[in-house]
Amino acid sequence: MNELDDNKNQIYDVAMEAGRILLQNGAEISRVEETMERLCRYYGVESMDSFVLSNGIFITGGYESKKSYARVGHIPVGGASLDKVVAVNQLSREVEEGKYETPEMVKKELDVIANMPTGKKWQKILASGLGSGFFCVLAGGNFQDCLAAFIAGIILYTYVVFISEKYLSKILGNLFGGVIIVVSCVLCIRFNIGMHLENIISGAIMPMVPGVAFANGIRDIANGDYIAGAVRLLDAILRFMCIAIGVGVAFAIYHNFAGGVML
Amino acid sequence: MILELISAAIGTIAFSLLFGVPKKYYIYCGGIGAAGWLVYKLMLDVAGLSVPAAVFFATVVIMLLSRFAAVFEKCPAIVFMIAGIFPVVPGAQIYWATYYLVTDQLYEAFHSGFLAIKIMISIVLGIVVVFEIPYKFFKIK
Repeated sequence: MNELDDNKNQIYDVAMEAGRILLQNGAEISRVEETMERLCRYYGVESMDSFVLSNGIFITGGYESKKSYARVGHIPVGGASLDKVVAVNQLSREVEEGKYETPEMVKKELDVIANMPTGKKWQKILASGLGSGFFCVLAGGNFQDCLAAFIAGIILYTYVVFISEKYLSKILGNLFGGVIIVVSCVLCIRFNIGMHLENIISGAIMPMVPGVAFANGIRDIANGDYIAGAVRLLDAILRFMCIAIGVGVAFAIYHNFAGGVML
Repeated sequence: MILELISAAIGTIAFSLLFGVPKKYYIYCGGIGAAGWLVYKLMLDVAGLSVPAAVFFATVVIMLLSRFAAVFEKCPAIVFMIAGIFPVVPGAQIYWATYYLVTDQLYEAFHSGFLAIKIMISIVLGIVVVFEIPYKFFKIK
């Protein structure tokens, strides 16, 4: 392989890395394809084809000196952190403006983005609590209900951050999440913090809603990326069903304990 | 009403933090969330529409604002829409559906479950409709 080929391989690697970060953090398929194509085009690789699924990227490219390049990357379906999507988007814009002369510089920048610290745990937990509390207002809860939803949101996300994300599969994680929501809400009511279970749970359930997967699934399907879109929608629906089942199971158990009385 | 709008804004910002939206966009997210809730409430109470129809219009407004913000700030629209859409997610309906299902009130369970699905479809339609609008439309400066 001569130097030129080496250089082109590196361009594909950079494109792959950019695509990987985008896909993993909740960008839609068309954006991933477009960004990779832009990067390749800017550094002079015209013959690049990509095929992007929700959990994999396939790139092939051929050039004059007969060797062709192909790469397959497996990308696990993960949690979304949109700041990385924004950063890569910004980066590809800057590349087109000519701020990065060589692919190496882009690669370095991508490494920085990939290792960008995700928000602190306590911040997320607090945000979950606040979100639950304020969404409880929208569901029609009074002040006490909101306080209960706040507590439930904090308990829920503490569980998500320290147990569910680390040790459990998505199905089980969301199932127990549903159970934990009900248990913490019922406990709050038992301790006279809240009054209306329906409002509290409507608020407390919100941090578990798989919003990014749902919205991306719809957008991918609307763009004609049916496979990726269907997988993402399935991911969203499955997670939501699991939460609902978790809530239902906890209800059923409580229902039996309380002898048919629902609070 | 004002309390609800403030709650929608703060709740939306809290959820944008969960999804890792960069801090400088929080103010947009909050505004979009509150605007969505305002439209939903107006459609529901003033115009007298059904819940799914109100959610549809709210989603359209949320998406329009998100796309304007996206063009203005030169960043993906999803950053703004994700959290903005949360206030219209049918959390209460899903609660009632599971509650009735477990307590063997199947007719009511079906009723609220179906309402939740209708709301979901409204959200889907709202997202798709706005995404079909060409990029040029949002580029008024």
